[in-house]
Formats: sequence, C-alpha cells, structure tokens
Amino acid sequence: MSSTTNGQQPLLSALGLSKYFPLETGLLASLRGDTSTVKAVESVTLDVYAGQTVAVVGESGSGKSTLGRLLLRLLEPSAGQALYQGADIFGMNRAEVRAFRRQAQIILQDPYASLNPRMRVGQIIREPLDIYGEGSKSERQKRVHELLERVGLNRNHERAFPSELSGGQRQRVGIAAALALSPRIIIADEPTSSLDVSVQAQTLNLLSDLQRDLGLTYVFITHDLSVVQHISDRVAVMYLGKIVEEAPTETLFTEPKHPYTQVLFSAIPLPDPSRRMNWDLPKGEPPSPLNPPSGCHFHPRCPAAMSACSHTVPRFQAVGRDHGVACLLHEPEGANT
Amino acid sequence: MSLLSVRDLSTEFQSDGRWLEAVSDVAFDLQRGEILGLVGESGCGKSTIAYSVMRLLARNARIRSGEVWLEDVNLATLDEEGLQDLRGRRISMIFQDPTTALDSLFTVGHQVIETLQEHLDLDPAQARQRALELLRQLGIPAAEQRLKAYPYQFSGGMSQRIALAIAIACHPQVLIADEPTTALDVTIQAQILQLIRRLLVDEQGTGVLLITHDLGVVAQVCDRVAVMYAGKIVEFGDVHSIFSNPLHPYTQALLNSLPSKGIARGRLENIQGRVPGLADRPAGCRFHPRCPQAKAVCREEVPPLKRVSALQEVACVLYD
Repeated sequence: MSSTTNGQQPLLSALGLSKYFPLETGLLASLRGDTSTVKAVESVTLDVYAGQTVAVVGESGSGKSTLGRLLLRLLEPSAGQALYQGADIFGMNRAEVRAFRRQAQIILQDPYASLNPRMRVGQIIREPLDIYGEGSKSERQKRVHELLERVGLNRNHERAFPSELSGGQRQRVGIAAALALSPRIIIADEPTSSLDVSVQAQTLNLLSDLQRDLGLTYVFITHDLSVVQHISDRVAVMYLGKIVEEAPTETLFTEPKHPYTQVLFSAIPLPDPSRRMNWDLPKGEPPSPLNPPSGCHFHPRCPAAMSACSHTVPRFQAVGRDHGVACLLHEPEGANT
Repeated sequence: MSLLSVRDLSTEFQSDGRWLEAVSDVAFDLQRGEILGLVGESGCGKSTIAYSVMRLLARNARIRSGEVWLEDVNLATLDEEGLQDLRGRRISMIFQDPTTALDSLFTVGHQVIETLQEHLDLDPAQARQRALELLRQLGIPAAEQRLKAYPYQFSGGMSQRIALAIAIACHPQVLIADEPTTALDVTIQAQILQLIRRLLVDEQGTGVLLITHDLGVVAQVCDRVAVMYAGKIVEFGDVHSIFSNPLHPYTQALLNSLPSKGIARGRLENIQGRVPGLADRPAGCRFHPRCPQAKAVCREEVPPLKRVSALQEVACVLYD
C-alpha cells in the first residue's frame, strides 16, 4: 500500500486516519442517542517522504482539506495515527506539539481571508518568530527582511496592510509567514486556486524554488489536476473520504486504474482545441458524505460498476510499483466474492 | 446578419468623483449557433462587457459610447420597458454564482414557471409541463419533486442547471454565460459545458457569449475567442488559431503560463509585473510595460485591432 523509498523512513505518515464529524451535538441529540456522523476522512493511509511533493486531489467533499488539517493536528482524529518522524502527533504533549508546529506549517487558499487585515505585513510575518521567542528584536527584524526578499517582496511591503496588496502578493505574505520558523514540511491547501493563471505561474515557480533551496516537503491539496501534474512527485486521489488511488505522478497520469481517476482526468478541460473531450462523462453528482453509498462509494456513478460493487468495500492494494488502487476490478482473481 | 453586434463599446465606472474607463472601444459580432469566448484575467473588463450588453450595470457605471445591436434593436439606448421585454425572451444571462439568480423564498418550479408565463402565452398546466421538460432536458433527476424544492436544497451544480433552465426557458437567441462553471467541480463543470454546447448551441442554434478566465474551458467549447487585456480586445480569432498560433505577446504569455503546457516540473513562464488598475492604465499599448517585445512606439501609439489573416485579428505593432 504505502511505498518505501530506498528503505527511508517517511517524514510524515497517516495510518488508518479517520475523522467523523457528529451531525447533531446538542443535548437533545445526545439524549435521543442520535449519533449520526459525516465520515469526512475514512481510514486514510499515506506516506510523505522528505523533499517530496505529495498531491492530494479530489472534488468538493472528498475530505482532502480535513486530511490536511489532521496531518497538522489542527483537528483530533476519530481513529488512526499520524506519525511525524515516527512519533504519533496525537500522542504528543504540549512541548512536543510546540516543537512539531515549528516544523510543520500550512498555506491556505484564500490569502484574503487568512491574513489579519489589521496587521501590517511585517507583523504578520514576525508573529511566529515572536510566539516562539526567536532571537533578539533586531534579529527578528532582519529575519522578516530576509523572508520578504525570499518570497519576492521587498522592504516597502513591510508597512503595508494586506488590503493594499494584490492577491498574488498576499499569497507571498502567507508563504513568508509559513517559512518564518524554517519548517521542514508545508501543507498547502489550494494555494493557487484563487489566483489568475499568470499569478498562479509566479506562485508555483516560487514554491518550486523554495523546495529546491530549502529542501522543503510539500503536501499539496488541490482540485486542479494540471497543477498536480506540474508540481507533484506522488498523487493520492480522494473520493468521499477515502483514497481510491495513489501512484507516482507520471504513472497516475499515464495509467490511471481507478474508474474515478479516469473520469476525473477525462473531465479536465485541456487547453488544446485539437484534443477535445469526448464528453463521456460520469453520471450524476458526488453523493452527500452524510449518506455515502454502500460498498464502493463510487459505484452509483461508475461506468464499470459490477453487482459486487454495491455491497463489497474494495481493499486498497498494490497494482504496480508504488501504485495502489481500491477497486474490485483490480482485486486478484477470486477476491471479489 | 449577426445575432449580437457590439460596436465600439466603452463603459466607465465612477470612483472618487472621477469616471474611469473599464472597457475601451470593444467591438465583436456573435453569430447564431456559435460560442464566442471572452477570455482574460481579473480586471480585464470581460464581465463589464456582459453587464453592459444586458444593461445590468451597477449605479456607479455607465456606457459611455458605443452600440449593442441585438439584431435590429440597439440595447445600449433601449428604455427599461423595452429591456424588460427582451431580457429572458431574446437574451439571457447566467452567472458564476447561480444562487444570485434564484429567489430563496420561492420554489424552483415557481421561478421557472413564472419566467415562462411572463414571456409566453401559456396556461398554468402548459407552463408546468414545459418546466418539467426543461428540467429533464437539463439532466435534473426526479424533476417532478425537484419543482417543489427550494433553492437551498440544491447543490451548486444543480442550482446552475436550474439557473440555466430559467435562462433558456423562452428559447433566447443569445445567452451570456459569465464564468458559469468556475465555482463547480471539474466533473460537474464538464456536464454543464456539455449542456451548453450540445443542447443550446448545436441543437437550438443559440449564440453564446462565454466569459471565462479558464483557457481550458475556452479550448474545449468555444468556436471563436476574444482575448482581453486591461479593457481592450488584444487578439481575436478562431479557437484553433488562437491556441496553435497566438500572435499577441500577451496571448502567448498567458498560454505559456499554463502548468499543463510546460514540461512537468519545469519553470512556468510568467509575465513580469501585474495588471494595471483602472486609474493607472498606461498610454500607448496597455501591455507595453510588461511586454518582452515592447518597442519605443508601443509607449505612445495605441495599436488598433487589425486583420492579419482570414481568421485572426491582433492589436500589436509587431504585425504592422
């Protein structure tokens, strides 16, 4: 299921990680014994190796953002573990969590919403340094200047408020703040989704440069498959809370095995009018995570569904080198009874 | 004759007592049974064109000059009564956020039927029947029950189908679609685009003006494309020429900044600087400060849109 890269230990892994959100949390609901839940993330296992970029792709409601938050312990899991350098982040004490947070940071989609509008850019970038008591005041100041330059801004931006910057510049501020404590891993949740293509290109180039220069590891959460192809080493495809396929990027794009992955790829509008899509589209919409279909969650929309798919939950298993898929079509003979 | 003919349209916005031009001397024709893409980045004026054509501009905006002919009617000078009669019947619009077009207090059925009865001479039973047909055509399952549902009970994709049902209920000649799939997941986007292409354009001959920032969407569904930068059309042509032989340096840069065009993991080409605001659009060619091929003349002279081949027009001195 999970790959081994030269016997190396993964930097961060999820092991059977699940997150269920209760639907009703009021007193009445608890008296009624109402325990219905949304299974936002269900038994996800994923390894992230140092220096790599792993993309987590999926549509709305796939659980990809919830997974990202679990991996930073911004949410407590309902089951499973997340290991950072072998240590379970959910078993860490306060001091350990503090040390972990220094090494694992997040970049969010909306630089308009994620930056405090009343703080100046310099303050925003300095805040993590202040919280962690990094160096003297003048050292922190120097670090802020370094970071501004590192992300392609300059000292003139230090006194600006986020509202005075463009979307691309705001995203650079978010990146600088995430870099302040010299993390090893960054979870980037749709970092370029609200940007125009030319600004997106600048931001993706910046993220690539930072990875090369600082040896960063990225978990890149996105719905945009063209970005995935460009930036990631490995890809995990999620559908309704589960990883349905995981493979090295090139393998996934050339030999997608799961019918959902195939459908997703066929729906990408390629910027090439000579290769128009055949409109062989999936039926219907993704079902509500409140009430996911039985068996394989994708079976009601799947063009290759068999009768077994409606009641058998497919196991995630290897179909090639570092390539895993959860689909009955790819289970060994005799397994799909 | 073209269905829709926009002539030298300029639209301006009032800001701090000054009028600033958002769209400058834009001209294009939309034919029956085609999708014309209007593409560009945020702030290029593409949505302002849509709102100008529909005469739905905000209070701080006005058409400064130009004509908008819907066949024999100039929408730019038509009075409100005339506009009310045409909107929904001969020209309709759908938006990025379909919920803006739906009234949350009424059932979806009420809203579709209301539109039908407003413009067509149908009794309630006929209107209801037609509404059901529309919902089915647009791929809405369990249409009978869905007619009785309220907008909040619909997903984003279903809401956009309903908005589309209302927009096309009276078979308008022209549909303006302003980023209709931008907020939708990729599989749902493909379904909606397919409906627009097949049902509206290919079967019914509607002319669609598709406004989008997504070059993938343009390549997949448009017949012709107008590329906009800072309020002007910089290049115009059939979709194949625009993608295989882009002429304007801005079009070239835009296409090269797409991740899927570049070799995996390589550096993406990007455009220096940023799009100028309405108040500080440069003189001459508006792209010249960011253009890798700018010459001295580009700082002073505004290049007109010129035909360079049977299929392509470009506004750039490189092609003089």
